Amino acid sequence: MFNYIARRLLQIPVVLFVLSLIIMGLMQLLSPEQRAAAFVTSDKQIENLDLIIEKYHLREGFVVQYKLWAGEVLRGNLGFSRISKEPVLTTIRKRFPASMELALAAFVPIVLVGVWLGTQAATHRDSLLDQALRVVAIVGWSLPTFVVAIWLVAWIYGGLGWFGIGRLPSSLLIELAGGDVHRYTGLFTVDGLLNGRPDITLEALKRLVLPATALVIVVSAGIMRVMRSSMLDELGKDYVRTARAKGLAEKAVVYKHARRNALIPVITMAGPMLGRMIGGIVVIELIFNFPGLGEWAAKAALQLDVTTLLAFVMLIGLIMATANLLVDVAYVIVDPRIRYE
Amino acid sequence: MSSPIPHPPKRERWFEGKRFRRFRRNPLALAGLVILLFFAGTAMLAPLLTADRLPRGCMRELGLGRSEARTVLRNPAHPTFWRATFAPPESCYKIPRVSYSPVPKPPSAKYPLGIASGGYDIYYGIVWGARTSFYIGVLVVGIVLVIATVVGGLAGLFGGWLDNLLMRLVDVVYSIPGLVLAMVFASIFGRGLIKTMIAIALVAWPIYARMLRGNILQVKAQDYISAAHAVGAGSGRLFFKHILPNAIGPMIILASLDIGAIVITASTLAFLGLGADVGYADWGQMISFARSWISNPGGEPLKYWFVWFWPSMAIALFVLGWNLLGDAVRDALDPRS
Repeated sequence: MFNYIARRLLQIPVVLFVLSLIIMGLMQLLSPEQRAAAFVTSDKQIENLDLIIEKYHLREGFVVQYKLWAGEVLRGNLGFSRISKEPVLTTIRKRFPASMELALAAFVPIVLVGVWLGTQAATHRDSLLDQALRVVAIVGWSLPTFVVAIWLVAWIYGGLGWFGIGRLPSSLLIELAGGDVHRYTGLFTVDGLLNGRPDITLEALKRLVLPATALVIVVSAGIMRVMRSSMLDELGKDYVRTARAKGLAEKAVVYKHARRNALIPVITMAGPMLGRMIGGIVVIELIFNFPGLGEWAAKAALQLDVTTLLAFVMLIGLIMATANLLVDVAYVIVDPRIRYE
Repeated sequence: MSSPIPHPPKRERWFEGKRFRRFRRNPLALAGLVILLFFAGTAMLAPLLTADRLPRGCMRELGLGRSEARTVLRNPAHPTFWRATFAPPESCYKIPRVSYSPVPKPPSAKYPLGIASGGYDIYYGIVWGARTSFYIGVLVVGIVLVIATVVGGLAGLFGGWLDNLLMRLVDVVYSIPGLVLAMVFASIFGRGLIKTMIAIALVAWPIYARMLRGNILQVKAQDYISAAHAVGAGSGRLFFKHILPNAIGPMIILASLDIGAIVITASTLAFLGLGADVGYADWGQMISFARSWISNPGGEPLKYWFVWFWPSMAIALFVLGWNLLGDAVRDALDPRS
């Protein structure tokens, strides 16, 4: 087990290395002038394209450029983001809590909704409820995140005037910028409580409802389908029959015996679900005007800010690899029959 | 008396099989099929449906005048009708602009679905957007199949270090959420429909390469392959005549059914501004035209509902159609159910 974890940890840098090779390699498809144009921020600089090419060594070969970039990264310098006009690491530190807050706010409801609906579908197999939930799952799976987000913004926020857009109303943001409120975690909901300012927590929560709902709609369908089929598997097993035969209440059989075991395969869904969530967060942050990492990356993609994009992909790669490793470890903990050699 | 001639066993035709019956009796599958047929019809008949509003460049390239277009494009006996249907010039995919006004205009008799910000005719965009969606879906699946066949084929056929290397590459690409990587690739390649499609294909292939490799390994272990080898079939013949045809089927079916997911990625990229050129009939881009008119513009909520409603419904239904169909086919092919 320990060996397995160590081996997996050693693979993470390799994955990141290959990813950076792919992206830097594709950049070589562009001419030096095109790559230099990505650094231009004003009309005046266009005349100085050659200087930019010189400065960033854009005429050199792939190996030289890669070495330059990798050398800086190994020294802990991820570069300067043109989009946020500050070092990449500063932006990540600033924006990570926003995305984290959104992800955490969505995570619990996603799992609860998925597991609950999946259980309902399995215990009412082939009934009207099951059929209806099946349609709901396919519809949820078919809706692009940005479509759901736009519907929520238009109907709930625009039409009904409920909840809100952004992370906080501007009056509170100004107050935060003033420095009276200490930022312990960067999560506004938590910081509000720690500072004894429940109004901040409340406003922040209000603004998390719609983006989190959008994520629940597009992500929980997957969990629900896995939960349904694994629950059906468990309900057909001998121990369930034994439990029923000895006269246990149906509730105890379903919730205490079958569901606990049915949850194990759902854990494997954590990786793909996290991936879907990250993709969703990029779009949702843009639409809900939520200043997190996804919004930053989406804007960087529009202007080919390679430094930012590379850093973003490295970060996502790191998060995904860590999450997948944790899933594997969790799997062993909940199901002691599994062994990694 | 002649002895009764033994009746030759009746050959089961494809629509009588158990699998097809299961598929046919599934109402969701039929719903998906109806949705897709509707979109396919719209896409096929796009020139006819928009004969009265084609953009100027398109009419010029088809050699038609404004009034001529109306009669010719509704007349299947005319050769230009067929040319417009099967090989319309690129300029027909440009949404005609009624004006340059940034304010959308509500639906009217002439523009039944309204006019988007920038004077774009929404009806035209929806109709030709159906064509774009099929085009993107089919072409991306095509590129994905080529990449997956090459990578999965090499890995499955040669095994050893090459297999190891290629499968680790699969793991790496697969480890990043598809949309994130597609966004980066699309950003590097730049705007343009073909470039976006390549970006999406470069992200979508790994799962199919892995599937093909698995199938090839399975087929390779079968007796008939050893038999063919024993008879002296060369490795090229063995692979292309015996292994590949028997291993590639499931991959082709599943990849084609993935068009829904591909259209989601494509429309998301277009929405982000990384898709086709500005003004191209593309549903995702039409929603990005609507960006500033979605939430409570000018204090009148839902006044400009038409700018986002039609394209978002088109995308949602199109993807739903593919997923309903795909779900049913997967069910029908699943030997366990």
